[in-house]
Amino acid sequence: MKLMASIKKELLLLFSDKVGLSIMFLMPLLLVFIITIIQDSAYKMVNENKVSLIISNQDKGEQGVKLIQLLTESGLFEMHAQNQLQSHELKNYLLDENKLTALYIPENFSDKLKEKATQISETLTYELGLSEIEKSNTAIILPNLHFYHDPVLQENYSYSITNVIGSFLNIIENELMIESIYAEVGIEKSPNDFKEKIMSNKIVIDRIPAKNDEHMINPNSTQHNVPAWTIFAMFFMVVSLGSNIVKERVNGSFLRLKTMPTNYTHILSAKMIVYMVVAVLQFALIFSIGITVFPLINLPQLVLPSAFSAFIVMMLMCSMAAVSYAMMIGALSKTQEQSNGVGAVSIIIFAALGGIWVPTFVMPEYLQIISNFSPMHWCLEGFYILFLKGGSWSQLFPVIGFLFIFIAVCQITTYTKLKLEKLI
Amino acid sequence: MPALAQIEINSVSKKYKTASIESLSDISFSINVGQTIGILGPNGAGKTTLISILCGLISPTKGSVSYSSESANIISGVDLKRIIGFVPQEYAFYHELTPVQNMNYFGSLYNLSKKEIKEKTDALLSVLGLSHVANKKINTFSGGMKRKVNLAIGLIHSPSVLFLDEPTVGVDVQSKLSIIEFLKKIRNQGTTIIYTSHHLSEAEDFCDELLLISKGKIVANGPTKQLIEKHKSDNLQSLFIKLTVAE
Repeated sequence: MKLMASIKKELLLLFSDKVGLSIMFLMPLLLVFIITIIQDSAYKMVNENKVSLIISNQDKGEQGVKLIQLLTESGLFEMHAQNQLQSHELKNYLLDENKLTALYIPENFSDKLKEKATQISETLTYELGLSEIEKSNTAIILPNLHFYHDPVLQENYSYSITNVIGSFLNIIENELMIESIYAEVGIEKSPNDFKEKIMSNKIVIDRIPAKNDEHMINPNSTQHNVPAWTIFAMFFMVVSLGSNIVKERVNGSFLRLKTMPTNYTHILSAKMIVYMVVAVLQFALIFSIGITVFPLINLPQLVLPSAFSAFIVMMLMCSMAAVSYAMMIGALSKTQEQSNGVGAVSIIIFAALGGIWVPTFVMPEYLQIISNFSPMHWCLEGFYILFLKGGSWSQLFPVIGFLFIFIAVCQITTYTKLKLEKLI
Repeated sequence: MPALAQIEINSVSKKYKTASIESLSDISFSINVGQTIGILGPNGAGKTTLISILCGLISPTKGSVSYSSESANIISGVDLKRIIGFVPQEYAFYHELTPVQNMNYFGSLYNLSKKEIKEKTDALLSVLGLSHVANKKINTFSGGMKRKVNLAIGLIHSPSVLFLDEPTVGVDVQSKLSIIEFLKKIRNQGTTIIYTSHHLSEAEDFCDELLLISKGKIVANGPTKQLIEKHKSDNLQSLFIKLTVAE
């Protein structure tokens, strides 16, 4: 009866704060919408849209044109010729016109490439005994191509683009080499079909996500973001629950409760139950929006994992971890300001370390080690195992194990602190 | 529930861990059931510490407090908590809830039935003049109304002993008079009241006995009129000044 009365009181307190309650549900929804839309657009920009590339070709030979042709044929770029511009002018043009990328091909590009190809083929034919004259080994300095990019363009995008340009340069160099070798051994023109065979013999790389369940859909922005931001929002209940506990401890109601035939354990249990329900409702709301609303606004639909029981256990473990952490912050804080400040900042740090914003694998090694201490890392890991890898119970054991330890530490700390205050 | 007969305070001393001197030093007195005791003293005298020890909120460093029943048995633990009511100086309730919701919650913690809680809530709110705001959130109330709600919650389980720590602090004259009138009714129904206050005239009017403390020590103890006569004072105020300044 006392527990039920305390649950009812907690619910009344929760519903009395309409703004706080709506923030608890609207904030995660907004986060999930915004981040998923942004990431989805970024994905589409890289994979579906062409990157605008301004070209200034100052090359007097054929190879500059050839490179432009290859870049155009790749379908990855939208080419804009600005041949009247010199390198430094190209940079200014890019900045002035608010474009993303530009490529400058220097004047002696073809000559130097040809020179280099000739030198290599001469050396090769001499080494193979096809020629008796040893040719000079003077180093030939190849001209640099200048690739300009807007500083806002993320580094990985500009790396990808330079890699694409680099692979086309390889094709051109190889072709020149074949032609030079033929010329060196006295054949005026290399057979086109043979050259074609060599140049087009590219091995296709299949991109296959390593997942246990083959029916699992391929990773997309929804599968990544919905669990991640739900976890973040759920841990943010530290602000509400933490300050609720502090308020009760520092105002007179705590004193009155101490003189009554009850135990603070009842009161804490009631808080735990109510906020667990809130966390589960956050999950239910955000996930159902991911399933029903996302496809309506052209976002990938959220697909729940086939291991449904494991998903439920993960959801409860994450909820319990969030509630236990909030209770610990509430028990350790002396004022509401302390609870709100420490709670919110620690959640942001946990999120950053836990891989909510950027994946942990891109972090330096020492941060990857530290990230193991973030409960959000394990919550996220658990959901990724289920949502992206189609994982099973056995893969979840380490995750559940860590979360169990985290929950136990938070609960024991809360209990000890309240015991020291003679509340329990 | 055992009927309370006497509260015995034996050589109680209290020294807080962070303090260099004792907040209470060798306090001894007894309270008989039905009495109204006023604990008076200047700021920092140890009134709140004493009342906190009496109702079990904190433990004394030395000495003991015992509650005995009519059959001379010691009352402790949950039995003791059931017979005491505590009204702290702070507003000890949930401001976001209504008086009725607060009374329901605190009443449930005493295992009272819904019917008992409703009857008691209606009666208390009516006599304290709060019936018209029974279902309004307390955070919209005036200081006086909040004091009354604080008091009503402390009485939800009809305690045998009521501890009041400055029950009229910070309220207007009308509210103060109305609270004291209500407390007199409770007293006349046989409730033992232990009360701290700064308002000497209020204490003189309301209490059977006084306990004057200063710097953690009892400086005078006994029925109000006798104390005034014994110390050849005109009234409680001059007695208070005489004893606390002398200390």
